[in-house]
Amino acid sequence: MRENDEHTLDWKLSDDIKTGFTVPENYFKGIEDDFSLNLIEEELPKNNVFEIPTTYFEEFDHHIIEKIKPKKGKIINLKKIKLIPVAATIALIIFFGTNFLLNNNPELSSNEIVNWVDININTISSDDIAIAFTDINFDDIDPYVTIKSEDIIESLINSDDIDFLIEDANINEIN
Amino acid sequence: MIDEIALVEELQNIQTKEKAFRILIKEYKERLYWHIRKIVISHDDADDVLQNTFIKVFKGIDNFKQDSKLYSWMYRIATNESITFINKRARERNIDITEMKQELVSNLQSDRWFSGNDIELILQEAVATLPEKQQLVFNMKYFDHMKYQEISDILDTSVGGLKASYFHAVKKIELFIKKNSLNLKTKIKS
Repeated sequence: MRENDEHTLDWKLSDDIKTGFTVPENYFKGIEDDFSLNLIEEELPKNNVFEIPTTYFEEFDHHIIEKIKPKKGKIINLKKIKLIPVAATIALIIFFGTNFLLNNNPELSSNEIVNWVDININTISSDDIAIAFTDINFDDIDPYVTIKSEDIIESLINSDDIDFLIEDANINEIN
Repeated sequence: MIDEIALVEELQNIQTKEKAFRILIKEYKERLYWHIRKIVISHDDADDVLQNTFIKVFKGIDNFKQDSKLYSWMYRIATNESITFINKRARERNIDITEMKQELVSNLQSDRWFSGNDIELILQEAVATLPEKQQLVFNMKYFDHMKYQEISDILDTSVGGLKASYFHAVKKIELFIKKNSLNLKTKIKS
């Protein structure tokens, strides 16, 4: 403690003696910013200006529960997938599989494949496609995402239904 | 106050999943709705996004590992669904995101589900001009009164970063409102 200036404005603790208190880094700068923000926030509108239909929240639960419930006799909405690449890929698999069984010769020319697809693309029914894709949950498919051909081929190859599809193929048309 | 751990256990149990899901919807639908609404603006769009959010929650709950709070996880899904929705709309219209948000707000004046006055409309317009993160932080802090730590858990951003975002957001909003209020006063006088 300094003498003679104990009660003056210049009095202060000796530099050797600290209060022991510390503050977080940038604390005082933060106070200025917070004060500035508070002033601006005071002037901004605070009301919720968005409205909703009166019974919206009451009815919401029911809508969602209906959507998550498993549906009996699942109807596959084929409009959700792009049919052309799907049908074409199935046609290729059936063609390949059928020719393999008939000729035991997996070596097919690309012309044979293209020709067969061109002729038979319209004979692949929606039911055939639905049966081939029983393992895929169409509700999970984002309608804006195209299914990759590789994924379809892999699914069919691993499917138990591939034999069914090959048996049902129009063998006479191929011959 | 629901026991979150017990609720998650019930949600991850096939026997109790639907019953627990009903509790989840009841508990969180309003908070999630208003968060989504502030982003997508229109009630009909907010309804769509909220439904998508809950469906994603229902389908994804089995993989939820509780390394964050359930609400933070759901809030994150809602945020991502809202942003995805806006991005998709912008792509369909072949415009950028900022333009898309401003277009959504410009429809507010004729929107039957909007009850704000001129200055409140200007505030919404100001918020729509903010970059995505600043907009999210502003909505959560100013309108939803969330703490910075809660926002940090949802947006995976440091508290310091959030404070900076909020500061810049508020300053931009202040400038926007001052400028546009002046135009409004001039319009009224004439």
